[in-house]
Amino acid sequence: MGIDKNGNIVLKTDSLTKRFGGLVAVNNLSFEVHEGQICALIGPNGSGKTTVLNLITGIYPIDGGRIDFLGEQINGLPSHAICWRGIARTFQNIRILGSQTVFDNALLGKGYGNGGAGVFQIMFDTAKHRQERAAFAEEVDEVLKFVGLEDVRNELARNLPYGRQRILEIARALVTKPKLLLLDEPAAGLNSAEIYTLMELIKKINETGISVFVIEHRMELVGELADWVFVLNYGSKIAEGTFDEIRENPAVIEAYLGKGRD
Amino acid sequence: MNNIKVFWNRYGLLVVAVLLLLTPQFTSQYEFYVVQRGVQNAMLVLGLVMLIGYTGLMTLGSAALLATGAYTYGILMLRLGCSPLIGTIGAVLFTTVVGTLLGIPAFRLSGPFLVVTTVGFGEIVRILILNWEPLTRGPYGLSGFRPVMPTTRGVYYLMVVVLILLAIVTERIGRSRLGLAMKAVKEDEVAAEVMGVNVRRVKLVSNALTAALAGLSGVFLASLTGYLNPDSFTSNESTSYLLMVVMGGMSNVVGSIISSLFLTVLPEVLRFLAESRLLVYSLILLVYLRLYHVRGSSKVRAKSAGSRGRS
Repeated sequence: MGIDKNGNIVLKTDSLTKRFGGLVAVNNLSFEVHEGQICALIGPNGSGKTTVLNLITGIYPIDGGRIDFLGEQINGLPSHAICWRGIARTFQNIRILGSQTVFDNALLGKGYGNGGAGVFQIMFDTAKHRQERAAFAEEVDEVLKFVGLEDVRNELARNLPYGRQRILEIARALVTKPKLLLLDEPAAGLNSAEIYTLMELIKKINETGISVFVIEHRMELVGELADWVFVLNYGSKIAEGTFDEIRENPAVIEAYLGKGRD
Repeated sequence: MNNIKVFWNRYGLLVVAVLLLLTPQFTSQYEFYVVQRGVQNAMLVLGLVMLIGYTGLMTLGSAALLATGAYTYGILMLRLGCSPLIGTIGAVLFTTVVGTLLGIPAFRLSGPFLVVTTVGFGEIVRILILNWEPLTRGPYGLSGFRPVMPTTRGVYYLMVVVLILLAIVTERIGRSRLGLAMKAVKEDEVAAEVMGVNVRRVKLVSNALTAALAGLSGVFLASLTGYLNPDSFTSNESTSYLLMVVMGGMSNVVGSIISSLFLTVLPEVLRFLAESRLLVYSLILLVYLRLYHVRGSSKVRAKSAGSRGRS
């Protein structure tokens, strides 16, 4: 297979398997994401795409195989530890905190428990805590500016239009300083103007050196963005390649449109 | 109207503090005792603001932690001859440890299962105190230990000062990254976890803080009454603490202090009603919650949250 291997492997899965009872949701899936790439994972509904993301981020335990990130095994780690190593994600159905401000939502990407000011330092508002807070605020503001949400910084997140809530979720993921960004159907529910903004943003993020792994249904977005495409059907990889190669692949066409009558 | 809200958000705590410090000047001995209990309750409820209000962990075991604090204080002084200061520190630490030991297995559960578990814990502690006679004197009650301050007024003023300091700290935690993590755990545990929040740790920290406050509240309870009996720590008590935090607006610090005072004083005010007292008490609560607290007083909080990021 002719992958344009310009760059190290960021994410690698080997014979990844997940069963839900008798249903094999992900079956012997092996793939690689390279540094600086935008990869897309496509497939018909129910083919196991979101499950793959849930396995990578440790939300579900895996039933077989292994996942490596930057050369180290990450399956079995708790989700927050996987995040600290540099994998951030967004969700298909937006999961922001509606009752918190845009700023606080983004700040959440700083996590809790990975060093920094402890409980007592917060209680007594020590110099270290104040410094940390100022530094974080600056970082968060930078990200908000980067994604174009600085004008709604102090709005409650639930008051934002849907498209901007999606951007906020991406901003929150960026605050974690990821090396790999996983996007689960970022264009779902967006209009074409918003999709355009989103595509520009994803490109801009990729240009800063963050690898992107995106699940998407909108083929115009996949075609525009993806360097490399994986196709999933019934939990198995049925094809991979550039978008143009994938388009012509008979197995892919069959998975999406069904088998023609001879 | 808006000005009042701004004023209240900024100076509410100060107003409460001043009123509390003036209270001994114009109350009878009995009224004063009731207010003291209110302040002592408020201290525990501040902990619940963090656990239930911020972190969203519904528990009903506060009375057990209160009892742990109160009894540890009493026992340390009576059996080991500790000074009030050592007794207080020991009680707070021990209650925190007990709370954490409960929390480690219990926070694997959530929702109704967590509630039932903590109710069970409350009963275990109460029955343990009732039956461990050599240590706790069981149904005869424990007495004869010294209060934290030599005079009743001293205990009260110390309590008010501690309460106000704790209120400031609670508010500060709410605004910090820890508080944000707590609120994220409440709203969406999975999203919080995936964003790098160690959810388990946040729950345990929040629980430890709550247990520490309950322990401290127990120390003051012991100092106020001078007599401890397992009957004062039934699950009824836990329920009224829950009521106090709900009525205070769940995550509203000043609101919780006021509702703790109000709900401690109200049953005493209604005493003239004799047997229909509880009926009227419940009716007042029902009407109040129905009219005013459809979504909790979090309405006010949500608005003030907007100004928060600017600080």
